[in-house]
Amino acid sequence: MFDRRIQLKTLISLFLWFVALPAAALDGTQILQKVDRNLEPESYESYRQLTDIQPDGSKKVSVLYTMKKGRDKIVSLFLAPASDKGRVTLRLGDNMWLYIPDVGRAIRITSLQSVTGSVFNNADILRIDYTAEYDVEAAEEQPDAYLLSLKAKSGEVAYDRLKMRVDKRALLPLTIECYAASGLLLKTLRFSNIKDFGGGIKRPATLETDSPLQKGYKSVMQWSGLKKRDFPDEIFTLNYLPRVQELRK
Amino acid sequence: MKQALLAVVLLRAAAALAAEEDFDASQFEKKPFELGGYVQLKQENFSLNRSAAFYKLGFYNQAQRESLDRTTETLQLAGKARHGIGTFDFRANAEAQRDQLGHDHESTLLEAAYSLRPAPGLSMEAGKRSLKWGKGYAWNPIGFVERPKDPNDPQLAREGFVMANADWISSPGGDLQTIAFTPVLLPVSNDVNNDFGASGHLNPAAKLYLLYRDTDIDFAWQGEGSRPARFGMDFSRNLVSNFEIHGEWARIGRFARPVSDSTGVVTTETGSAVSYLLGARYLTATDTTYILEYYRNGTGYSDQEARQFYQLVDTAIATGNNALVQKAQSLSQGSYGRPNPGKDYLYFRAQTKDALGIVYFSPAITAMMNLQDRSYQLTPELSYTGINNLELRARLFLLHGGSGSDFGEKQLSQKLELQARYYF
Repeated sequence: MFDRRIQLKTLISLFLWFVALPAAALDGTQILQKVDRNLEPESYESYRQLTDIQPDGSKKVSVLYTMKKGRDKIVSLFLAPASDKGRVTLRLGDNMWLYIPDVGRAIRITSLQSVTGSVFNNADILRIDYTAEYDVEAAEEQPDAYLLSLKAKSGEVAYDRLKMRVDKRALLPLTIECYAASGLLLKTLRFSNIKDFGGGIKRPATLETDSPLQKGYKSVMQWSGLKKRDFPDEIFTLNYLPRVQELRK
Repeated sequence: MKQALLAVVLLRAAAALAAEEDFDASQFEKKPFELGGYVQLKQENFSLNRSAAFYKLGFYNQAQRESLDRTTETLQLAGKARHGIGTFDFRANAEAQRDQLGHDHESTLLEAAYSLRPAPGLSMEAGKRSLKWGKGYAWNPIGFVERPKDPNDPQLAREGFVMANADWISSPGGDLQTIAFTPVLLPVSNDVNNDFGASGHLNPAAKLYLLYRDTDIDFAWQGEGSRPARFGMDFSRNLVSNFEIHGEWARIGRFARPVSDSTGVVTTETGSAVSYLLGARYLTATDTTYILEYYRNGTGYSDQEARQFYQLVDTAIATGNNALVQKAQSLSQGSYGRPNPGKDYLYFRAQTKDALGIVYFSPAITAMMNLQDRSYQLTPELSYTGINNLELRARLFLLHGGSGSDFGEKQLSQKLELQARYYF
């Protein structure tokens, strides 16, 4: 009888162990998928203002019009300042290009560069879905938040690891710590100012970042006019970049 | 300590203000008309190389000089007008120049074209357009329907040609992510595009672009007409995220090349000319970009051929033979006088962003070398873009080379250039 009870207990434990493991892994991935969709629809347009604040308080402001399609196609057009107006950045998966009107053609750029000279790099400005770039390594439940540990799917991704704190109720990111492969903290992203953009999109309208590598500097990204919109595939190509601004309504 | 505290307070206040102000994008909505551009002031100091062939030709029978100071004021305007599926856009440049030799002004319509977009994957346009083909940073052997790039200022807007062109784009997906086809028709007559080549031709050209397995590939062609027929290809690919390689290859059939001997006898050699370029771009973790390019100029002159021309100049000037001087001057205004008339060049550029802890401050150094005669040009550069819409740039061109060499026979031995550009 005693042996049978032990056997039953072992069986139940083994069953729970097998069930619990994939469930925990699945939860983290599901949470990240929900974070992706809560932040933006899969295909959308938006306006963003990037404010770069220097240690002396002086500011440089850029305005971008952005279009995204699917999980890994995104285009951003600079509307301001006048010196950058008409510049377009395109990202297709791991490939990134910058089109400068005076130069008249697109050149390849990298995710770690910053086309604006901001703490935000190209990977932040041309961010595609987190699930397209990262796997969930661990998901930890905290009183008010989930802590997701993310690992880059390839060496092409700008940050090797992310630690994302996700609001438990809204399933929106609160902070993201971005690490290099060496374990060095590169920057921290802080989301705030939850705003209703209409169309069922309610998400942070402000993202601030600073970096221990650029002490005293800070960059702020603000969203406006974020809405669902479908685009043809053809606009996410090098040949279309000179005409991207004609797509704005 | 007080200053540090004040800085922290200011930073926090500024950050808070930026975060609190709601961003309203309505002022950035698309408008039917747009106008922008820049004004630029450039001051140049030229140190002239009085023993160089191009100095001797340029200052023949004129007062001799050691140096020259030039001021150039530029206004560049770019605008758009939209209606329905059509857009008219233009870019115009006006320049006024003054130096000790005189003053001059010039207005150029760089581009002006009307384009129609009947479908997302199709556009057609007619007008003056500057098409930029190729992947090279300093040179583009497949730039078949464009005016040559200035390797000292590769990002400068260039004047286009009057043409009709179309763009058809498709995204099939899979390994072949993009296909784009660009056909071009470029007329040449006595009044239109007369510097492109022989008049009385409607020159066809085309480019096929493929994005295949993360590699950009272009095939370019220009048919027989005002210029001999030519074709070529290019590619560009990131081997890793911060290391890109690119290349171009072009072949011109029946290219006519005037070659002069040291007595002024000019023979025209006709044959195929193959040009190519191999390059790489590397970005370090500290935000320094390195660009390295090797350029084989199939239409250029070998070290021996160039030396014959420089000997001709020396002989013409020394003898005072006006006919010979005029012949040498005429050759210097053609293919011998191109910015890079040689056969083999190496280009190197290193630029650091936010150097010395100063954001928007970018020092750079550029080197260009003629590999056959080992003459070279070094260009240290400082630029600052920290003030909204203002770009400040200082460059010093240092040319080195012996007698009979490419950079040793240019008109200058040194140039200091200061430039301020304000965008509006």
